[in-house]
Amino acid sequence: MQATDIQTTKKNIPLYLRSFRMAAWLGWQIESNWTDPFLFAIYSIIKPLAGAAILVVMYSVITSGDFASPIFSYIYLGNAFYMYVGAVMSGISWAVLDDREHYKTLKYMYVAPINIPAYLIGRGVAKFLVGSISVIITIVFGVLFLHVNVDPLAINWPLFLISLVIGIVMLAMMGLILAGISLLIVQHVWFIGDAVAGALFLFSGAIFPLEVLPVWLRPFGFIMPVTYWLELLRRSLVGRVAEAFPTLSALNNLQLIGILLGLSILFGIVAQFLFRYCEHIARERGLIDMVTNY
Amino acid sequence: MNFAIRTEKLSRIYKIRGGKKSEPRTLVALNDINLEIRPGELFGLLGPNGAGKTTLIKILTTLLAPSTGHAWVAGYDVANEPDRVRPRINMVTGGETSGYGLLTVRENLWMFSQFYGLSSTVANQNIKHLLEVVGLSDRTNAKSSDLSTGLRQKMNIVRGFMTDPDVLFLDEPTLGLDVGASREVRHFIRSWVDDNPTRTLLLTTHYMVEADELCDRVAIINQGRVLACDSPANLKHNLQQDAIFHLEVSPFNGSLNSEKFEALPGVCNVVHRPQDGFESLDLILEEEHALAGVINTLNSANIRLLNLQKNEPTLEDVFVNLVGQSMEQIEQKGGTGEQ
Amino acid sequence: MSNNPYSTPQVLSHQEGGRPLEVDRLHKNSGWRLYFQTVIARAYPRIIGQQREKSWLFFDILLPLLSVCAYVFVYRAIKAPEDYIGFVVVGGAMTAFWMNVLWSMSSQLYWEKEQGNLALYIMSPTSMMAVLLGMALGGLLATTLRALVIIVLGSLFFHVQYAVVSFVQLFAVFILAMFALYGLGMMAASLYLLLSREAWHISNLAQEPIYLFSGFYFPIKNFSFWISAISSIIPLTLGLDAMRQLVFKTGPSLGFVSVGVEILVLSILSVVFLFGARLMLAYMEKLAIREGRLTENRR
Repeated sequence: MQATDIQTTKKNIPLYLRSFRMAAWLGWQIESNWTDPFLFAIYSIIKPLAGAAILVVMYSVITSGDFASPIFSYIYLGNAFYMYVGAVMSGISWAVLDDREHYKTLKYMYVAPINIPAYLIGRGVAKFLVGSISVIITIVFGVLFLHVNVDPLAINWPLFLISLVIGIVMLAMMGLILAGISLLIVQHVWFIGDAVAGALFLFSGAIFPLEVLPVWLRPFGFIMPVTYWLELLRRSLVGRVAEAFPTLSALNNLQLIGILLGLSILFGIVAQFLFRYCEHIARERGLIDMVTNY
Repeated sequence: MNFAIRTEKLSRIYKIRGGKKSEPRTLVALNDINLEIRPGELFGLLGPNGAGKTTLIKILTTLLAPSTGHAWVAGYDVANEPDRVRPRINMVTGGETSGYGLLTVRENLWMFSQFYGLSSTVANQNIKHLLEVVGLSDRTNAKSSDLSTGLRQKMNIVRGFMTDPDVLFLDEPTLGLDVGASREVRHFIRSWVDDNPTRTLLLTTHYMVEADELCDRVAIINQGRVLACDSPANLKHNLQQDAIFHLEVSPFNGSLNSEKFEALPGVCNVVHRPQDGFESLDLILEEEHALAGVINTLNSANIRLLNLQKNEPTLEDVFVNLVGQSMEQIEQKGGTGEQ
Repeated sequence: MSNNPYSTPQVLSHQEGGRPLEVDRLHKNSGWRLYFQTVIARAYPRIIGQQREKSWLFFDILLPLLSVCAYVFVYRAIKAPEDYIGFVVVGGAMTAFWMNVLWSMSSQLYWEKEQGNLALYIMSPTSMMAVLLGMALGGLLATTLRALVIIVLGSLFFHVQYAVVSFVQLFAVFILAMFALYGLGMMAASLYLLLSREAWHISNLAQEPIYLFSGFYFPIKNFSFWISAISSIIPLTLGLDAMRQLVFKTGPSLGFVSVGVEILVLSILSVVFLFGARLMLAYMEKLAIREGRLTENRR
C-alpha cells in the first residue's frame, strides 16, 4: 500500500463515520416512528416469539416436549441468533430499494459527499438494534419457560462478545453484497434480504447439525461464515450442548475464530468489489434513480 | 340553470399533528367556497401555493370529503353520489408519478383506459391521436421509467383526456413542460373545450399568463377563500376602467401640441414628452375606440406612428390589488401550508 | 382529421330536471364488463413485469424452496415420521399463496398510495375489488410456479409419499380456500386505504403468527380445540388441515375436524369474506375520503 493511500484513508475516516452516524440516525427515525412506543414494543416481542414458537411446536409435537434434550437448545439458540442474519442483511439491502423507490433520495445520496457503503451499513443499524431486542427476548423467554440451558455464570463472555462482533461485521458485509445486487433489481424483489437469509437457513447449521444434510450439500455449510459464527455463539453460551454435536468438534475456539475472521475478511473484500461493480453497472445503465413499482 | 360544477359554502378543515408532544391544530384549507361553473366553460383557479386549489380539486374529484357545505359535479353530489360522478370526470396533476415504470407509454395509458370501460380499439385510437397532439408519438413504445419529467407529464395529460370526460380537472398541468410544449398543451386545452359545448374544464395554476390566455373565467383564491370570480378582461377592467396607451411618433415640428389631443372626444389626459428624434405621448382614454380620433389627428398632420403600446393591468395587478401582496411575496413567506 | 374521435358530430339531448345535458360520446362499459376489463388491465403490469424482469425466478422460486427444505431437515434431525416431511412440503407450497395475498395484493396498496396510483383508481368508475383481484391474478403465475416447484421438487427430493383419498374433494378444498383467502386479503387491503406504514408493519407482524397458528408445518390438532377453532378463521388453516387429511396416509388421524366440516366452513368463509371485503372496502374508502388519507404520503 502506498503512503498516500494510507493518508487518504486516514482523511476519509471522518467521512465514513459521518456517513455511518447520519445513516444510523436516519434508519432509526424510519424504523421507530410509525407508531407509539407501546405498540412498537408489542411488535418487537410478538414477531420473534412467534417465529421461535413455530420451531418449538414442531419440536414439541414430535418429541412430546423433551426440552431437556441438547438438540432443543441447539435448535432454539441457533434460531434466536439467526434473527440477526435476516435483520442485518435485509436492513442494509432494503435501504437501497427504500431510498430509490419510495423516498426517491438515493440519487441525492449519490450526489452528496458521503460514503455510500458506510451510509448503507448505517441504515442497517436500526434493524440490528430491533433484531437485538428480538434475540434477547427470545433467549430470555427460552431460558425462563422452555428450559433452554443457558447459565449466565457459565457463559464464556469474552468468546461470546468477540464472536458476536465479528459475526455482525460479517453479516454487514453480506448485506452490502445484497445491497449491490439491489441496485440492479426491481422493487418487486424487495424481500431479497429475507429470501437469502431464508435460503442460508438451510446451509448454516442454525436449526440442525450439518450432518443431517445430504453429503453433497454439506460443503455449502462449511464455506458459510454463519456456520462458524453460530457454533462459536453456542459454545460460548451452552458449551455442553455444542459438544453434543460433532460437526465442528475437531476445531477449537481459536481455530473457529480464525476461520470466521478469515471468511469475514474474504466476504468483506468480495463485498467491496461486488458493490463497486454493481454501482458501476447501475450508473452506466442509469438505474440509480429508476422507479419500478408494478 | 344546470351547472357542470357547483359548490355551496364548501369548507375543509384539517387537523395537523405538530409532533408527538404538541396539541393538534386546525388548518382551514377552504373557507365557504361558492362557485358555479357552466358546461362548456374553461374555468381557472388562480392562487399561490397553499391557497386551497388542490384541496378543492380533491373534493370535486371525490378524493376528499368536505368538512361542511356541498359540491356537485356533473349534477351529482360528490360526497353522497361519488359513483355517479366518477364515470364523468378525470384529473391530471402536475408532477404526477403515477403509472408503472416497466410498462411502455402506450401500455400505461391503455391500462388506465380500461378502468373507465373504454374498449381497447377506441382506447388505442384515442391514445394514438393524443400522443401526436402532445408530441409524444415517437415515445409510444418507450418504458415510462425512461421518460424525463416533462415527457412524463405529457403522458399524464394524455391519460386525462383520453377518456373524454364531461368534466376534466387539471391541477397545474404544464408543470415541468418546456415553453414550446406548454404552448401546445394550452392550445389543445382550449380547442378541446371549444370542440364540444358539454365539456367543462377546471384548471388550477399559479401562472397568471396561463390563466389570462386560456380561461373564460377565473376565480382568484387565497388562504382558502375566493376573492374574486369573473372573466380575466372584467377583472382587469374593474381595476382600471380607462384605456391607457403609449405612443411614439415622429417629431411634431410645431404642427401639433397636447391641447389638440385633449380636445378630442374620449381623451381624458395626454402627457407629451419630446424625446431625441421622436415624441412620446401617454394617453388616458375613456374608451379604446377614442384612439381612432388620435390616429386620425396624427395622420392629418402627416405625423408617422413609430410605436403603439397598450398598457393594461395584468392579472397579477388584480391579485396584488385583492390580496395586498404579489404571489411571489406570499410564496416567499411560505404559502399557507396547503395539504 | 378522420382519425380524430373528437370530430364525431355531437347530438345534444334535451336537458332534464337539473341534470346536465347528456351527449352521445365515447361508449364506456360498466357493470361486469368494466369489472373484467379492470381485472385484466391491472393484472397486465404484473404479467408483463415478470416477462421483462426475471430475477423473481431466483428470489421468488428457488430461494423459498431452500427455506422450505430447512424445515424438512429440522424434522429429519428430530426423527419425525415421514408424513411430517410431506406436511412441510405442502405447507411450504401454500405459503406462496399466503405471500401473494399479503404482499402482492393487500400491502401493494401502500405502494400504490405512495405512487399516486391509488387516487387514480378510486377516482375512476371501476371497483376496487376488481383492481385487487387483478393484482392477485397478475401475481398468480409466479405464485403457482413457486407452489408447483416446491411440491414437485420437494416431493421428489424428499421421497414424499402421497395417498390421495379424493381428487374432487382436494380440488374443492383448494378452490374454496383460495376464494376465502383472497376475500380475506381484500379485507386486509381495505386497511391500507386508511392507514399507511402502520398497515405495512401490521402485515409484517402477521406473518409468523399466521404460520404458527394456521399450522403450515404441523397439524393444528396439537393446539387446544379453541386455539384451533379461532385459527380456523384464517382460510389456510382448515384448507391445509383438509389437504393433509386427503393426501397423506396418517392425515385423517391428525385432522382437526372432518374434511366435510372443513369444506362447509370454507364455503361459509368464502362468502363471508368476499361479502365482507366489499363492505369493508366501501367503508374504508369513505372513511379515508373523510379523513383525507387517500392521497397522503406518510412514509
